[in-house]
Amino acid sequence: MNSPLESTVLFQIGPVPITQAIVTTWAIMTILVIGAFALTRRLDLRPTRRQAALELMVATLDTQITETTGVAPAPYRGFIGTLFLFILVANWSSLVPGVEPPTAQLETDAALAVLVFLSVIWFGIRARGVGGWLKSFATPNPVMIPLNILQSLTRVFSMFVRLFGNVMSGVFVIGIVASLAGLLVPIPLMALDLLIGLVQAYIFAVLSMVFITSTVKVAAHNPPSTDLAPSPTKKDS
Amino acid sequence: MTLDWWGLGLQAINVLILVWLLSRVFWRPVAGAITRRQEAAQAMLDEGKTAQAKADAALAEVTEARAGIAAERDAMLAEAKAAADTVAKAVRKDAQTEADTLLAAARKAIDRDRTTARKENAAKATELSVEIAARLLGQFNTPAVRAAFLAQLVEAIAGMSDSERTALIASGDIEIVTATDPEGAERAEIEQAVKDALGGAPRFRLVTDPDLIAGLELRSAHFVLHNSWRADLENILKEVENAG
Repeated sequence: MNSPLESTVLFQIGPVPITQAIVTTWAIMTILVIGAFALTRRLDLRPTRRQAALELMVATLDTQITETTGVAPAPYRGFIGTLFLFILVANWSSLVPGVEPPTAQLETDAALAVLVFLSVIWFGIRARGVGGWLKSFATPNPVMIPLNILQSLTRVFSMFVRLFGNVMSGVFVIGIVASLAGLLVPIPLMALDLLIGLVQAYIFAVLSMVFITSTVKVAAHNPPSTDLAPSPTKKDS
Repeated sequence: MTLDWWGLGLQAINVLILVWLLSRVFWRPVAGAITRRQEAAQAMLDEGKTAQAKADAALAEVTEARAGIAAERDAMLAEAKAAADTVAKAVRKDAQTEADTLLAAARKAIDRDRTTARKENAAKATELSVEIAARLLGQFNTPAVRAAFLAQLVEAIAGMSDSERTALIASGDIEIVTATDPEGAERAEIEQAVKDALGGAPRFRLVTDPDLIAGLELRSAHFVLHNSWRADLENILKEVENAG
């Protein structure tokens, strides 16, 4: 068994090493996109059971966003929902024999954390403007600027470390137990790993949502002078 | 432990692409379907409210029309009742008039019949009385009565003018009518008394007529001298009838 801290390079494209996590990510992307396309091909006013399940999923996500942040869910639905789906499928991909979940690799989790970090900046600037976003670091007073900057870095760092630690440890423990106690003993641990994968996906998505909308909620109380804030009545079409 | 920056960047790009793709093929279509259904439901609710409003308006209109029909029906019923009352009054009045007329006619007829019956009864009673009197008087045809009638006849002849007596004698056969056939002496006495009363030479003969009851009468072709109970009773009968 390879060290979970090391990436297995499958091939090189120029200077870019293509690791197993990247290939697995591509596979997951393909499955998700094709599956989503196939499931949403024939949406009608009279929903089938499949469409009702999809709508229930989207409605639950919207409710979760609204109840957690108090803002309209449409601008954040795609990013937060995709993060949750990707992390969930990536975590559960460990059930497929021979597949190591991409989220068990440091680069994938770091990339997700970087995206959350950038999305916080992006949504913050969209909602409050550049000046408003910069001023948010001075709340409640300018003395807090260094601490707020440090907080914005450490919170995403903690996110990716939490995700990486949980998934990697699950894979590692299952691998060790499987190598020591045969095939049936790791099954309870794999079931636990499923639960951990679900919980970690949920935590990552919820934290991302909280981080992103924390700046937007401040913007809602102090509207910016610029017209960059998303309209609350804007429809998601 | 090293961090593969290429891998980090590539994974970040992968996730970004996945976010974009899923937004295009999953999140937006499903959210759009939900929105479309909500809009359709809202439209159906609006249509339902509009239809409800139309139905309420139609119901109010029907209710108003029904109230109008009821009022019109009541008015027509009242009018018909008034007309029926008028006709009934007229019919009752006509019937009353006709009944009064019939009653008056009936009363007149009754009075007339009663008068007629009373007259008839009176006539019958008179006739019956005359009959009774004739039968009773028939029993009193005695010689004294006959002598009294003879005296009355003689007196009546004496009361006649000379010209009447002369004309009576000239008329020829004179009948001396008696109720009973007189015996020889009585016959002679009657003939002699009449002859003396008339004077001259009259020709006469005695005729018996029981209808006279009692009495003596002179009869010729153009002359009758009544002198009998029969004549008296007939006079009385005529007087009674004329009085009734």
